[in-house]
Amino acid sequence: MNLFQSVTSALDNSLAKDPTAVIFGEDVAFGGVFRCTVGLRDKYGKDRVFNTPLCEQGIVGFGIGIAVTGATAIAEIQFADYIFPAFDQIVNEAAKYRYRSGDLFNCGSLTIRSPWGCVGHGALYHSQSPEAFFAHCPGIKVVIPRSPFQAKGLLLSCIEDKNPCIFFEPKILYRAAAEEVPIEPYNIPLSQAEVIQEGSDVTLVAWGTQVHVIREVASMAKEKLGVSCEVIDLRTIIPWDVDTICKSVIKTGRLLISHEAPLTGGFASEISSTVQEECFLNLEAPISRVCGYDTPFPHIFEPFYIPDKWKCYDALRKMINY
Amino acid sequence: MAVAIAAARVWRLNRGLSQAALLLLRQPGARGLARSHPPRQQQQFSSLDDKPQFPGASAEFIDKLEFIQPNVISGIPIYRVMDRQGQIINPSEDPHLPKEKVLKLYKSMTLLNTMDRILYESQRQGRISFYMTNYGEEGTHVGSAAALDNTDLVFGQYREAAVGAAYAAKRANANRVVICYFGEGAASEGDAHAGFNFAATLECPIIFFCRNNGYAISTPTSEQYRGDGIAARGPGYGIMSIRVDGNDVFAVYNATKEARRRAVAENQPFLIEAMTYRIGHHSTSDDSSAYRSVDEVNYWDKQDHPISRLRHYLLSQGWWDEEQEKAWRKQSRRKVMEAFEQAERKPKPNPNLLFSDVYQEMPAQLRKQQESLARHLQTYGEHYPLDHFDK
Repeated sequence: MNLFQSVTSALDNSLAKDPTAVIFGEDVAFGGVFRCTVGLRDKYGKDRVFNTPLCEQGIVGFGIGIAVTGATAIAEIQFADYIFPAFDQIVNEAAKYRYRSGDLFNCGSLTIRSPWGCVGHGALYHSQSPEAFFAHCPGIKVVIPRSPFQAKGLLLSCIEDKNPCIFFEPKILYRAAAEEVPIEPYNIPLSQAEVIQEGSDVTLVAWGTQVHVIREVASMAKEKLGVSCEVIDLRTIIPWDVDTICKSVIKTGRLLISHEAPLTGGFASEISSTVQEECFLNLEAPISRVCGYDTPFPHIFEPFYIPDKWKCYDALRKMINY
Repeated sequence: MAVAIAAARVWRLNRGLSQAALLLLRQPGARGLARSHPPRQQQQFSSLDDKPQFPGASAEFIDKLEFIQPNVISGIPIYRVMDRQGQIINPSEDPHLPKEKVLKLYKSMTLLNTMDRILYESQRQGRISFYMTNYGEEGTHVGSAAALDNTDLVFGQYREAAVGAAYAAKRANANRVVICYFGEGAASEGDAHAGFNFAATLECPIIFFCRNNGYAISTPTSEQYRGDGIAARGPGYGIMSIRVDGNDVFAVYNATKEARRRAVAENQPFLIEAMTYRIGHHSTSDDSSAYRSVDEVNYWDKQDHPISRLRHYLLSQGWWDEEQEKAWRKQSRRKVMEAFEQAERKPKPNPNLLFSDVYQEMPAQLRKQQESLARHLQTYGEHYPLDHFDK
C-alpha cells in the first residue's frame, strides 16, 4: 500500500471495529481530495462517513462534541494550512476538556487528521508544517508518520488513544513508494521515537518526510566523511520521547535536528533546549538545527527554502569539524 | 487542486453518471457537486425548460431588480402566555401544569435569586473571587430546564460541541435532545454560525437557546447586531425558529417542550430566542451604572420580572401566600448559607493535583515537573498559602 491507502486501511479497521466511529470533514464523502476515504461511505453508510460545511472551527468543535458523548470522532482538516480557524477549539476546548472538568468529561476519542508538509508546488497555503504551534499546548498529542506502515500503526494508536490527537500526514508521501502493510489492524506506540539506524558519531533527528532526507544524509556522511550516524524518527511531537534522544546524544555527543517548518520557535528548538539541559557535558559541538527559513512557505523559491540533504550534510560536516 | 478535480472526475465516471452531469464537473471549482443530492433538490436536470437549474437554490426567476429589505421595524413576534400581571392571555396556550410543578418552578427561580444575592455579597466580602448573577433571567433557565428530560444533555456554551453531541445522540438512538445556551453576544461568535450550519446540514436533535438580555457586558444589542435579533438568523440556516418572552416562564416552557418533542422526533435543530433583560451587572467585576440608567434597570425589576409574574399566577390560583413566601425566603437563605459555609470549611485540593488530568495518563516529563514543584515547596513552602490546601 502507499500512504493514502494505508490511511484508508486504518480508517476501515476503525469503523469495522468500533460502531460509534464516524469520519467527517470537507469532501470526505466521495473519497477525499487525497483519496484517503475512498470506499468508506459505501461500506459504512452516509451517517458514518459524511461531508461537513466548509468550516474548520465547526469540524473540530463538532468532533469534540461527538467525542464528549464517548463516540469516536475522526475529523479531517483538508490541509494543515487550514487548521488555524480551529486553533481555538483545539487549544482552548479539546486540550483542556479533561483538565477543566476534573476528569468528569473528556474528548479523548477525537482524532484530527490533516495533510502536512511540502509537496513541491504547494506554496504558502498547501505546504505548512504547523506542529510547533500545537507542541506548546498541553493536553493534546501530535503525531507524524514517515511511511505507509508507520502511518497505519500510528493512526490506529491515535484513534484508540484516550486523548485528543492530531495526526499530520506528509502529503508528498501519499502516492510515493508503497510498502508491505498488513490489512489487519496493528498499533505503533505513541510518544516513542524510533532509532531507524544505529550510529556512533552523530545523532540525526527528524519526523515525517524529513526522516528520508536525513537517512540519505547519513549515507552521504558515511561515504564522504567516514562518519557513523544514528538516525532517529521522533514520530510523536508531544509528548515527546526525551529519553531516546538523550540516550543517543550521550552516546554520540553530537545532535542535528531538521524540519521544514521555520527555524525560530520550530520544534527543533524545544529538542535542542532540553538536550543541552540533560546532556550538556556530553556535547562535543553545539546542537545544529537545519530548518526552513523564517519566511512564509514560498512558491517558486521552494527548492531554495527546504532543508535539503546538502544543507543537512553541510551542517553535519561543520559539527564533525567543530 | 487539479489532483482533486481529476480524482473526482475518475470517481464520477466509475459511478456511471450521465454525460450532462459530467459537463458540469468539467468546470473549475466543481466543489459541491460531488456530494449526494440534498433532500430539497428540485426536478430532474434538464436544459430544455426555462426554469432555474442552479443546484444552489430552489427558486423562481424574477425580472425586476429588488433588494430584500431586512425587517427590523416589526420583527419576529414574541410568543407569550401570561401578561405582565401573570394572567393567562390565551387559555388554549396555558400548559395547565400541576400545582407541584409550578411551585417547583417558583421555588427554583427564587432559590436561584437567593443564592445570587448571598454569593454576590460574599464576593464583595472577599470570600469568593468572582461571581455572575442571574437577576431577571431566572425564567429562561428554569422554564427551559423544566421542559427537558433528565437524560438530556445541557451545554452552557460550546455551540459546535453541542451539535456534535446531538449528532452522536441521534446515531445512538438515545432519545435525547441537546440544549445549548448562549447570549445574544455569544451569537456573534463564528462558532454560533458554525453550530447553526452544522446542526441544520447534519440534521441534529438540538435546541439552540439564546438568552437575549439586551447587553453583552456593556455592549447594547444595537452594537451587537443590525438584523432582527437572533431568531431571524435561524431561517437563514434552514432552522425552525421562535422568539419568546423570556420573562414568561410558561412561554419558555411551552416553546422548549414543543421544540424538544420535534427535535428528537424529526432530527432537526430548533432555535429559541428568549427576550429578557439583565437586571444585574455582567459580573462582580462590572458596574453597569457606567453604561445604562438606573431607571431602565428599575423598570424591569419592578414592572416585568419573571419571578413576580409567576408569583401573581400562583397567588391567583390560590397556591401561594405571604406566609409561605416569608417562610420560603427564610428556608432558602438558610439552605444557601449552610451549603456555603460547608464548602468554605473544606481545604482546597493538594497542589499535586495541578498536574492531573492534562492527559488521561501523566506523561513522564510532566511527572518530573510535578516532582520539581514538590521539592521546591519543601524548601520554599513558607512563601506559599499551603495552609488552605489539603496536605
